[in-house]
Amino acid sequence: MSPQDFISFHNASRQSGVIMSFSGDVSEKVLFSLGEVLRFRMTQGATDASIAKRVFSVFVEQAQNIIRYSADRVAGGSPDGSGVSAGMIVVGMEEGRFFVACGNEVPQAQVEPLRARLSRIAGMNQDELKAYYREKIRQPAEEGSLGGSIGLIEIARRASAPVEFDFRDLGAHRSFFCLKAYI
Amino acid sequence: MDRISIAGTERTPEVDFDFPQGRLKLGGESYPEDAAAFFGPLQQALAAFLENRERGPLTFEIALTYFNSSSAKALMNMFMLLDDAAAGGAAVTVRWLHAADDDTIQEAGEDFAADFEHARFELVEQP
Repeated sequence: MSPQDFISFHNASRQSGVIMSFSGDVSEKVLFSLGEVLRFRMTQGATDASIAKRVFSVFVEQAQNIIRYSADRVAGGSPDGSGVSAGMIVVGMEEGRFFVACGNEVPQAQVEPLRARLSRIAGMNQDELKAYYREKIRQPAEEGSLGGSIGLIEIARRASAPVEFDFRDLGAHRSFFCLKAYI
Repeated sequence: MDRISIAGTERTPEVDFDFPQGRLKLGGESYPEDAAAFFGPLQQALAAFLENRERGPLTFEIALTYFNSSSAKALMNMFMLLDDAAAGGAAVTVRWLHAADDDTIQEAGEDFAADFEHARFELVEQP
């Protein structure tokens, strides 16, 4: 891309309401720093405190999902031992509503289980999400899960509309997964 | 069981588990890089304490301003230990502190309250 292309890229992002976007290797320290500036921007922008908390919460869950579950990982992780994985995270505003979108590669074998899980969550109303969250939080973590198994439910609970998601086949038994939540 | 005191950081809570006094406290922000590594030893200490403790009231005060889902899972594990201890006759009180204008933390407290069958759970609004 030429410098003009980068300017177009920047303008296109701005026109789409993007406040912050990151694409590349994500570590816990990247998460912390991006989260810090996101909170600062929302404070400066006089965002309603409850909305700001929801946006931050969805941002943290999505960023930690990238770090833990992206199929595109940096071998060995960061010097402190935590994971470093490639992905994308975008926070923006569309028609007065904040959104947080994230994306990362997943093994092809995980596409259908993840799709089934997200379809189920996206089809639930707030009461059903709350009941499902309470059920899951009491159970031992699922196999392959590094966190609480409840991050996706937490995202859906903080969202003001059903979460949107999709996949694109990258070949070589990988797909790119994207999840978008409106707050 | 010795007292466990850990200073809070920008993303890990301040911990004061004063086992000899029966007063446990957790406060601040909680989204550790590795929630299992942070909370695991605390859960183990709590379980060991509840197993061997002498009779006496136990109070657990939580004053978190934000916690991620991995931290919520760890809290739930500790709450289940406490509720089991209360079922066995221990006088357990859980105090969930939230700022008056913090709906998110208040709602989280209400959710947790519903999971206690034996321990006393207090939702405490802070001015």
